[in-house]
Amino acid sequence: MNVIFLILILFLVGAIVTAFAGKWSSLLQDGLFILAVTIPAVLFFTQVEMNQLVGWTRGGIHLELGLTPFSYFFAILVLLLGVASAIYSVGFMHGKARKSYYYFNYLLTIMAMLGILFSRDFISFFVFWEIMTWASYLMVVMNGTRTQEIGIKYFVFSAIGAYAMLMAIVLIHAQTGNFLIQDFIDTYPSLAHGRQILIPILLLVGFSVKAAVMPLHVWAPGSYAYSPMSFTSVFSGALSKMGIYGMVIVFVTLLSHLPEGGLIRDIIAWMGAMTAVIATLWAIAQDDARKLLAYSSVGQLGYIVIAVAIGTPMAMLAGLFMAFMHGLFKGALFMVVGAVEKQTGTTDFTKVTGLIRKMPWTFLTALISIIALAGIPPLGGFIGKWMLYESLILSDHYLLVIVAFFSSTAAFLYAYKFLFGFFLGQEEEEWADVKEAPITMLIPMLALAVGSILLGAFPQLILKPINNGLISLGFSDSYGKLWETSTLFNEWGDKVVLQPIIYAIMGVFLTTLAFTYFRNRKRTRYVSTKDISTSGEIPLAHENLTFKENFFQPFLRAVEPVMKKQIDWYYREFGAGLEAIFNFTRRIYSGNGQTYALYAVIFLIVLLLLNGNLFGQ
Amino acid sequence: MVGSPVLFVAIPLLAAFLIPLMGMIWKEFVRIIPGLVLAYMLVLSVSLIIYIQSHGTIVEVISGWGPPVGINLVFSPFSGALTTLMTFLGLLVWLYSHKFKRNVDYEPAKKYFILLMLMVTGSVGMVLTGDLFNMFVFIEIVSISGYGLTSFFVRRDSAEAAFKFLLMGAFASSFLLIGIMIIYTQLGTLNMAEIAQRMPQMDYHMKVFSLIFILVAIGVEAETFPLNGWAPDVYTQAPGPISAAMSGIVVKAAVYANIRIIYTMYDLQGAYEYLLIIGLITFIVAETAALKQERLKRMLAYSSIGQMGLAMIAFGIGTKEGVYAALFLMFSHAIIKSLLFFSGSYLVYNKTSKYIKHVNGMGKYLPITAFLFTLGAFAIIGLPPFMGFWSKLALLSAAADSNLVILVAVILVVSIVEAVYYLRVVNRIFFFKKRANTKPEKPTINAMIAMLSLAAIVLVIGFYPDLVTGLIERAADDLMDKGRYIGEILSKN
Repeated sequence: MNVIFLILILFLVGAIVTAFAGKWSSLLQDGLFILAVTIPAVLFFTQVEMNQLVGWTRGGIHLELGLTPFSYFFAILVLLLGVASAIYSVGFMHGKARKSYYYFNYLLTIMAMLGILFSRDFISFFVFWEIMTWASYLMVVMNGTRTQEIGIKYFVFSAIGAYAMLMAIVLIHAQTGNFLIQDFIDTYPSLAHGRQILIPILLLVGFSVKAAVMPLHVWAPGSYAYSPMSFTSVFSGALSKMGIYGMVIVFVTLLSHLPEGGLIRDIIAWMGAMTAVIATLWAIAQDDARKLLAYSSVGQLGYIVIAVAIGTPMAMLAGLFMAFMHGLFKGALFMVVGAVEKQTGTTDFTKVTGLIRKMPWTFLTALISIIALAGIPPLGGFIGKWMLYESLILSDHYLLVIVAFFSSTAAFLYAYKFLFGFFLGQEEEEWADVKEAPITMLIPMLALAVGSILLGAFPQLILKPINNGLISLGFSDSYGKLWETSTLFNEWGDKVVLQPIIYAIMGVFLTTLAFTYFRNRKRTRYVSTKDISTSGEIPLAHENLTFKENFFQPFLRAVEPVMKKQIDWYYREFGAGLEAIFNFTRRIYSGNGQTYALYAVIFLIVLLLLNGNLFGQ
Repeated sequence: MVGSPVLFVAIPLLAAFLIPLMGMIWKEFVRIIPGLVLAYMLVLSVSLIIYIQSHGTIVEVISGWGPPVGINLVFSPFSGALTTLMTFLGLLVWLYSHKFKRNVDYEPAKKYFILLMLMVTGSVGMVLTGDLFNMFVFIEIVSISGYGLTSFFVRRDSAEAAFKFLLMGAFASSFLLIGIMIIYTQLGTLNMAEIAQRMPQMDYHMKVFSLIFILVAIGVEAETFPLNGWAPDVYTQAPGPISAAMSGIVVKAAVYANIRIIYTMYDLQGAYEYLLIIGLITFIVAETAALKQERLKRMLAYSSIGQMGLAMIAFGIGTKEGVYAALFLMFSHAIIKSLLFFSGSYLVYNKTSKYIKHVNGMGKYLPITAFLFTLGAFAIIGLPPFMGFWSKLALLSAAADSNLVILVAVILVVSIVEAVYYLRVVNRIFFFKKRANTKPEKPTINAMIAMLSLAAIVLVIGFYPDLVTGLIERAADDLMDKGRYIGEILSKN
């Protein structure tokens, strides 16, 4: 059996076996779950050969699976996050209800994402895409909160996307006679112009839904926030990148042949920019860490969409690099929230404060990941953002730079709010006996944080696979030229020039810190947050010194006009309108037998009157 | 040859008459005999399907009067595939209701099984017969047993539903008779093959008039809009397995009749467009009406109507791909909808009102039933890797190949509505709190076997559609080849 099949089957069998293993032993189930993720991951990195195709036929349709360098890059992200989050899940789900259900859907989601990346034909692609959708849907509704609203919204938008894609797929089949992706890419330039425009747009709609591009993003905040946090780190970190994966393929292989391609790209880039701005503003307004990160994810995806839509060689590298970085730091941040939720039972900033001493390692992860998110050097997030700005300026998209810069600066606000809200501030008695998260949850978090640091110093680790992937799509080789275009890199293109300087400064700073610490160790005294006095007054034990409510209110008041009407509101009104219409069609069936008989007679008469027109000779 | 198509009609009919007599000897016979008969029919139809693969279509001449004078039964790849499907579902319906009716007294059980046998007889007969008037007789048999079964639970609501069905059925029968009469006066024959052969001689207006009468008549049974008002009431009030039998067996037979008449007997191009338009309207109206339903079985009924609309759309496309898609849709709908009716009936078992809210929280109490319902819901929405996906893909593909882009878009948009109302129920099953006054009822072991075998089919075909695609393709070829059908029957003379 081919190893690609083996990987997919291992996931599937693993999912079923793991789901049932819970009946015997919880520990066995956890072990099987970890194995069900790690064994296929190991197989993937050791056994799968690049560009090897395996084909088979189902229902008269020829299907092909294989690995290209481009999907290899995304597979790294999926498996990295998949394994990390799986280990984390064992700790997170410990003692929670519906563990078997969670494990089953988790494994199916990872399988489906790998399947998408393996697919070399549209039917496999769509099948895996839909498995991913319903498995993640089952995760979104898992907590049972607001399922009819958030779950259905997620599914409806996913269905809009998937069906747009399905429509494109059947149209493609009508044109090429088969479902192979490569065949379509080859015949695309010779299609009729109408089809040439319609098919990429339908595909882009499908991918935009998963990439949460405005106006198709409204499902994302709720779904990200209400899934179990251990799954959200995969959901936001890897699953949303499937949309980016598809988008890049459409941009590079299809739209580059189209004269209107530039216009479509610009529109999508602007949609990405709007997403980034609005979602960032909404993230600032949130008081719940889950929702803050959910909106932040949407916003960060907006940057990635801007970058890949602009599509210059450097922008493409920047976008995909940011996609990977976003997986790392957002995965880690959702894990942080999960850890806090697990230990304190809430994720509300206004309730939880001062966890820094209780959960130091969690704080460290949060700190590193927030630095990466905010794009502060020397972490990987900085490199991605720098390259994005540089490519936007070099390709004369000045307005986009301003918008991107505005939202990335605004992102500092929520980044600070996140760190401050949970970890800093006054220690309250309510959280006095909070413990650090279990080791199974800490290790994956820290590993992802280390990844952010590592990519800040050695971005070539991931830029090389990205470049190989883009070349295999038919994109120009931009990696070697990176040092020519970007001021960030040295002339070999594989080191960041700023980095040695920053490390030198940090080295000096840390040495001084260590020196003073050890020098004054004897005289060091630990103080509580209440150990202060203002104007000679000493705060009482129950006096609240932490500023938690109405964070950033002046800022939010300033941007209020932008946030007044959510797109969500229009969708809700539209949905309500539709339901009212459907309620009317329901009334056609009045329940009165005489009416039905009348319908039959009227129908007969209408047909008889129309006969010549309807059944023309 | 292992048996003759005539047995499909003769044996269940005989069994229906024998049930009360045998019941006098031992009461259990009433429950056992239908099962034996249906199992025999299933074996027979499977072996005949295998037989015709090498020997070609069987045309059975009744009592020595060859076509076109006498009645003949045709077991072709097309009618054979449908017969197998129907007998299989009939067997499952029996299995499901075998113990289900144990808490019911002997007398109603006797009626139930007699009427069930008659219903299967009529449906299989409709599919097999090669004679138009004979088809009318079988439609009447199906309808009358349908009226009886609808009012099986002697209640006010079920009597009302049965009456509506009766009213519409009466219209249907008279229109069908008028249609047949016009054909007979014009062509002087009732044999479908010969009608098809002589059709070009018929006066155009007479042709259209007769077609309209027949289409309206059969449209009542095939649940086309606006003739399907009876269906939601009947599905709601009839016992659960009968709802499954109605959507899986009776409606399939009616759609067969519709298609046989349009594809084989008539040569009017506009009839295909009629199918397409009416199918689309039926689909849209039914799916949108289903969204706001409050009763589970009523919702399933509208969904069932909508799926039949889809099948009619596929037939209306008129290409071989379209026919293939339509047959695939009919097959997968029969299996999935039966699964939904079977499991859904248990989720709302102890309430006569069958409100959707009664399923709240049942996932905890009836885990397997709830899981099977969810599987069915996912499959009928068309989510891969379940069976419904392949049939929907076939339909969309056929529509796109015929350049009907708008049609593809409309079907997909309406499918979203379908997904919404099914998932709302699924969410209720698993994530809502059980209502205090609902009492979960554990399925009987027989019902469980019936549901599990349907679920297994949904999964197996979902992963390996090749098991049925060959059969369906042959059936589609058979339907498209009108000349061969005429030739095979008339050569029996």
